[in-house]
Amino acid sequence: MTGRARAMWTEPLAAVLLLLPVASPAQQPSAPHASPTNPAPMHDMPGMSEHAMVMPIPMPAGMPMMPGLVGLAPGVTPFLPGAGLDLARLPAAKASAVVRLKNGDTLDLTATLVRRAIAGHAFAMYGYNGEVPGPLIRVPRNATIVVRFHNRIDLPSAVHWHGVRLDNRSDGAPGVTQEPVAPGADFIYRIHFPDAGIYWYHPHVREDVEQAMGLYGAMLVDSPDSDYYPPANRDAVLMLGDLLVNADSLIPFGREGPDFALMGRVGNVLLVNGEPDYALHVRRGEVVRFQLVNVSSSRTWNVSFGGAPMKLLAGDQSRFEREERVMSVVLAPAERYVVEVRFDRAGRVPLVNAVQAINHYQGEFVPEVDTLGMVTVDAAPVAPDYGRAFSTLGAHPDVSRDIDRYRGYFDRPPDKRLTLALATTALPLATVQFMSIDTAYYAPVEWVDGMPDMNWLSTSKQVRWVLRDDVTGKENMDIDWHVSAGSVVKLRIFNDPTSFHPMQHPIHLHGQRMLVVARDGVPSTNLVWKDTALIPVGATVDLLIDASNPGAWMLHCHIAEHLGSGMMAVLHVDPPAQGSGR
Amino acid sequence: MRLALAAAVLLAAAPLPAAHSGSTLSDAAGPYDIALFSTPTAPAARGHARLVYAPSPFGVAVTADGRARYDVQITASALPAPSTLGAFSSYVAWEVTPDLSRWTRLGVVAKGTSTVGPAELNKFLLVITAEADSMPAAHAGPTVLHGTSPSGWLQSFLTHPLFRGVAP
Ligand SMILES: [Cu+2]
Repeated sequence: MTGRARAMWTEPLAAVLLLLPVASPAQQPSAPHASPTNPAPMHDMPGMSEHAMVMPIPMPAGMPMMPGLVGLAPGVTPFLPGAGLDLARLPAAKASAVVRLKNGDTLDLTATLVRRAIAGHAFAMYGYNGEVPGPLIRVPRNATIVVRFHNRIDLPSAVHWHGVRLDNRSDGAPGVTQEPVAPGADFIYRIHFPDAGIYWYHPHVREDVEQAMGLYGAMLVDSPDSDYYPPANRDAVLMLGDLLVNADSLIPFGREGPDFALMGRVGNVLLVNGEPDYALHVRRGEVVRFQLVNVSSSRTWNVSFGGAPMKLLAGDQSRFEREERVMSVVLAPAERYVVEVRFDRAGRVPLVNAVQAINHYQGEFVPEVDTLGMVTVDAAPVAPDYGRAFSTLGAHPDVSRDIDRYRGYFDRPPDKRLTLALATTALPLATVQFMSIDTAYYAPVEWVDGMPDMNWLSTSKQVRWVLRDDVTGKENMDIDWHVSAGSVVKLRIFNDPTSFHPMQHPIHLHGQRMLVVARDGVPSTNLVWKDTALIPVGATVDLLIDASNPGAWMLHCHIAEHLGSGMMAVLHVDPPAQGSGR
Repeated sequence: MRLALAAAVLLAAAPLPAAHSGSTLSDAAGPYDIALFSTPTAPAARGHARLVYAPSPFGVAVTADGRARYDVQITASALPAPSTLGAFSSYVAWEVTPDLSRWTRLGVVAKGTSTVGPAELNKFLLVITAEADSMPAAHAGPTVLHGTSPSGWLQSFLTHPLFRGVAP
């Protein structure tokens, strides 16, 4: 629905399906009533429903719905926010406004239903203060602000201040730091910003619904150092999201739990700051500092500006040790990167997301390019011209010096180990058959949803994504790690490529900062502080956690449907006075 | 079928090279291993390769169009001196498209483990040839070892590049 140049998947080869092996029962370890080789009738399968509303799912061109799945619907009650309301009576969503706050200021943040027009269709969706994205909160580093959150939507909610190393009580993690804020209720957050950079806020209740429907906003924390970033003619915050639409309707969510539990809900309408057609006008030679935030539930992006030169400055929580040239920017859900782009030729420059899809029928990789918007470059030259500064790659010894304290830990054996895996129960036979060959693709990242029918039908009742502690064997919320504040923890995460339907996972740790010190044993050579790290399929990633902020902190996959399917644990950072406990 | 295939490849791969001082990854061996097979040119030659992420500031190393970029750690043994095979001085690794039409030089293969690359194709053949010099403009010498990237294993016959254009 966006202007997209997509290679068509035009050669259906259903016969290949007959040759597919069937997964061994061990790959669905906890199926209580049926095995993949001896399936129960569909109506006996927990979570499968034949009488729920059937909503045909948009399939990629040339890809038919699997015969074994036709007529099925996810075993959850279909739910769309604001269903039955008169759209005309909802206020139209406004664009994000910048709210500059200083130390001690208070902001009222209200989640409500709004009306949005996307690609010619009007939908009831959510917004903060009537805006999508929500207000852009701009604060100086070291400020503390108060946010009075008012929940006026039809679901419980809570606000998580993503990436901010704040007081645990304000982390917005229901079940860990607070109760969900009921519809009509309020909650007060006190947020301290110790690190400059780009952050974002979003709900931590059913984010598969609430975030996708528009509840997200950015926070820019300004350094007192006016030369923190190289000079740019302008700043632009780009929040990259997507929305799943079929014809003129949104695909409903599951009332009791997420659907699309396997791959996450991957939208087919790509949005920049909530809109499908991003537009920016600049002058020739202009340097634009783009602050990129991935707010989508599941999609990993690979964005670039038509070959225009890009310089990478910063990641989640800090600048890189060294600026470097990049051809594109890869962002997993919740990651942020700051890049400068110089538009040195007049004309139109597309902002594109260019990835490799997989044709699961044919075992082929298929290039897919989505145009997210257009930068129009005027012929008139910009003033001042920062071309010379742009061509220089700066180094940040202060970042390196800060990291120096931790380098002695880089090569130590891991303190903790996690394996990422999947357990499923009673998926449809057709899904099991098809997915059982998935490990043969060896794609470290699934950039698009190549099997939306199977994905849609999978719910959190049938799918449990797993973080497994290699030492204790404990999984997800049973893990319960304790370390004392001030510890440096080396966490090795292995994304098991032999598990059933392996997939990349962006692992997010609340309230602390961490370094990706190695991938597959290859040390990182240009470090940056992060709160979210992409763990590709088959990868072994070593994270070094600076566990300096006391409290109970969630560690979870930021694919909203994976989180909704159990993929979370808690890291307790105990105050030193209390000892390490366990 | 898949498990048998994976097992065969894992068995064919020799012990993995230690990649990171002070940290052993062998217990978490990734899947991106390539078994290398010899040819009549050097029948005793043995080898395997491992794909590791090329340097990148991001969570994965990819090209602007989204193809994964890997460095290739090649471990070879029992390779005869190139000069014993003819007028050759070096062994060179190539990334080759599955239809054999495009060869891209990845780097020189020496005794022990050599890191070459990056390889940037979704699917490719890894071919090691003897060449007259270490920087040949095109491949010319005989193949001594060859293998297939893991993503090339899943390949339906009808869509195999070598069969395209052939009437059924
Ligand atoms: Cu995940």
